[in-house]
Amino acid sequence: MPTDPPPSWEPLGPRPYVAGHRGVDVPTPAAASDPQVSGVRPYLITGGRARPIDSTLHVETQVLTTWDGRAALDTLTYEHRDIVALCVRPSAVAEVAAHLRLHLGVARVLVADLVATGYLVIRQPEVGAHQQVQIIERVIRGLKAIR
Amino acid sequence: MDSKPFVDAPGTGRPPLPVKIVIAGGFGVGKTTAVSQISEIPVLTTEAPITEIAADIDRTGQVPSKTTTTVALDFGCITIDEEVKLYLFGTPGQDRFGFMWRDLTEGALGGLVIVDSRRLDDGYPAVDYFEKTGLPFVVAVNLFDGFLSHNLEDVRWALAVSDDIPIVTFDARDRGSVRDALLAVLQRSLARVS
Ligand SMILES: Nc1nc2c(ncn2[C@@H]2O[C@H](COP(=O)(O)OP(=O)(O)OP(=O)(O)O)[C@@H](O)[C@H]2O)c(=O)[nH]1
Ligand SMILES: [Mg+2]
Repeated sequence: MPTDPPPSWEPLGPRPYVAGHRGVDVPTPAAASDPQVSGVRPYLITGGRARPIDSTLHVETQVLTTWDGRAALDTLTYEHRDIVALCVRPSAVAEVAAHLRLHLGVARVLVADLVATGYLVIRQPEVGAHQQVQIIERVIRGLKAIR
Repeated sequence: MDSKPFVDAPGTGRPPLPVKIVIAGGFGVGKTTAVSQISEIPVLTTEAPITEIAADIDRTGQVPSKTTTTVALDFGCITIDEEVKLYLFGTPGQDRFGFMWRDLTEGALGGLVIVDSRRLDDGYPAVDYFEKTGLPFVVAVNLFDGFLSHNLEDVRWALAVSDDIPIVTFDARDRGSVRDALLAVLQRSLARVS
């Protein structure tokens, strides 16, 4: 749990077109405001190993059904069952939400449940912080190839 | 015993690394158009709940009331190579809410703030959030019908973004133009990490 006080929500500069500023203090994550935190998450996880669900289940995080999940399919209730059936192919949390017409927040909680019970695993390659530059360069090359 | 995945991607031991860029901007600025121009899958949309903290103290007490509303989140993806998959998330965003900016931007490579030069203030919440969290970003002025209501220096002044934040013009209906705007974001991402 972050214990740092949340940064305030004041705009950094004047926004001359705004009649009054709209700010209300809203907590922003300590991690997201930490300049040391990289664009590509440095702590990556394989196989859903011990990390708090909240910090690992991003909207783009890929999850995959396990053998246990496959075996339990008939015993699961509707949304859980649909998710386990869908994730036989790896899917991002946001894809789960869109395909099953679930609110993103709801999908995230259900996916987290299923990871906790071992019916899904988080599928994430190990990537070190030192690889960020290469990854960004690859994305740049990949985009440049688009016509 | 650890749970074993049911299948692994054929022929690969490693799952792809998902990376993302967040595309933000006010209503009707061209976010969905931009994502759909460049995504290799049809754009998917999901509803994301947000908690709004009302700015005004309500009549019943001194505590600001909280309400929940939803906002549509579009996404698409581009397979960069066998190992990297780029997700694009488009959101109208809003000021005064807790959940979604954080969830969307954590771990993002960068952000693209799309603005309509006739309604620049719609871009403020995203600009504020990206500045605050240090996310590399670029402002893209969508040229509706090729018409720019202000010159770019006026846009910079109005948005109060510093000189080092690139402001580009683009056409959300043109794939090459969207690609170039994303490349501008990635140059910023690169400048930050290297
Ligand atoms: N002329 C012109 N029209 C555009 C351009 N970009 C988008 N549009 C049109 O503007 C309208 C809004 O575009 P969308 O892509 O739906 O905008 P959005 O930001 O996703 O809007 P919301 O999801 O409603 O917030 C659509 O009718 C588009 O066809 C542009 O560059 N030029
Ligand atoms: Mg839209």
